[in-house]
Formats: sequence, structure tokens, C-alpha cells
Amino acid sequence: MNNDILIVDDSATIRSMMKRTVRMIDLDVGEIYEAANGIEALARLSEHEVAVMLVDINMPTMSGIQLLTRMKQNDKLKDIPIVIASTEGSQKRIDQLHELGVAGYIRKPFQPEQLREVLIPLLGVTQNAGSENIDIDDGSF
Amino acid sequence: MQVQKTSILTTVLSEVLADLAFMFTDDGEFDPPVGERWLDTSISYQGSESGSLRLTCTNTFAAHLTANLLGMESGEETTEQESHDAVKEFMNIVCGQYVTAAFGTEDVFNLSIPEVLELPDTPELEDSEEESPDVALLSVEGQWMQLLHIQSA
Repeated sequence: MNNDILIVDDSATIRSMMKRTVRMIDLDVGEIYEAANGIEALARLSEHEVAVMLVDINMPTMSGIQLLTRMKQNDKLKDIPIVIASTEGSQKRIDQLHELGVAGYIRKPFQPEQLREVLIPLLGVTQNAGSENIDIDDGSF
Repeated sequence: MQVQKTSILTTVLSEVLADLAFMFTDDGEFDPPVGERWLDTSISYQGSESGSLRLTCTNTFAAHLTANLLGMESGEETTEQESHDAVKEFMNIVCGQYVTAAFGTEDVFNLSIPEVLELPDTPELEDSEEESPDVALLSVEGQWMQLLHIQSA
């Protein structure tokens, strides 16, 4: 299995930040693909296999919840772990996301350390040598 | 209740700035810049309560925010598209934090896609919390900005 990641967020800035954060937490991650909405995400998934997806909720064209629902109905995509990265703080919505089968939830803004804690079990990776003390610097997210 | 809303607006704005972009508010004397380009970014929420938030800030602030978010080196310039995108996402996060701080975590709120536009003229910012209780006015690294909350009927 590869360790590629797909980031789905309508903000190019946020995709770029998340990409930088994933690299900064120094896990053994492969390619990082990007999509600006659910439709683009499905197109990327038809081209590439990924190990984990980081998905925003509030996006035009196809929201994160619509994407999640579509993927769970597709035998080829239903087992890809999805981590929701959103501003959402409603417990009811978070419970709904878990019922829909999300693998993790992380609320924006978050720290690189929080992202690492979510990704490690999903990727089944070990951290790279020398990464035990992450220099968080201004890497808040 | 009104003063409490101002307090929530101020707290949320300050905390998101610090946590997201490592930017901090300061205690400068109210002195909004003249001759700056200004941006107006709005987002609305709908749930058990509904309303909108509107951030008025300078283009200079938006460029600093973008540079911090993207980890750019000093001297690197941001594009207008990057600045607009950054300030829209900033407001998305501010609004998400605001609704839970103001209304709790029980209810579900749907947020709109944020919109940003450049103002043709220098805006008049409120400098009195007593007159406008749903307004937070802050200076961030010398750049004044205003966050306005409008509750729908």
C-alpha cells in the first residue's frame, strides 16, 4: 500500500498550508495530491490510489459530506480513510460524520502535532529519523 | 448580552489570528490608515440562529496573513488571488469558531462560502463599542480591522 494523501479543500491557500504541514510533521508520506471540491476529488481518485484523504466540509460544487456519502456507496472507494478538517464545532455534526464513517476529525485551526496524531495510525507509518522534536515554529494551522 | 457579543467577537478574532497565523493584536491608538486598499469579506451562518460576519481590513493585513499562512520568506510578494483566498478562509474559520462560542456546540450551523470584495473608498470604522456593540475593532501588527456581526431577525 502506498502512503499517498489527497487534500480536498476549496482554498488553495489551505491546501498549500496543509501540504506544508504534512511535510513538516515528517512522516513517511508519499505523493500529496490536491482537489478543490468533491467532484475534483473523485476525478483524482480515478487516477491515483491514496492511503488517506484530508477533506474540508464547506466547499462549493460538492461538499465534504456529499463526497463522503458518495464514496461510502462505492465499493472501490468506501474503505479509504477520510479525515475531516473543518471549522465545524457542532457535536451533532461531528457525531453525524462518525456515523457516516469518517476515520478522524480535526478542527481548524489546528497544530501540526494534532495532524500527526491523526495520521500516524491511518498511514501505519513511523516518524522519520530525527523528527521526535518537531520545530513547530509558526506552523499552526 | 450585547457587550458579551463584542467580547466573543474580539476573543475569537484574536485567538484565530494567533493560532492560525501567529499574528497578535496590539494596543495601538485608533488610527486607521488613509490611502490603503481595503477589503470587505463576509460570511453567513444558518441554524437555530442565523446571521453574518463581516471583516473590514486593509490589503496590507491580508498580504501579511497570506505570507504567514504560506510560510513565505520576507520579500516574497503575494498575489491578489492568494490574499483574497487567505482572508476568505480566515473568515470561514472565524465564523465556525464564533457560532460555537456564541451559541454552543449542540446545534448544527451551515456556513456560506465566504465572499470578498475590494472597497472603492476608505471605510469608516467604528471606534466606540458602546455605540456599536456587535463590532470588534482591533489593531493587528499596526493594521486596524473591524469585525461586524449582524444577527438576522
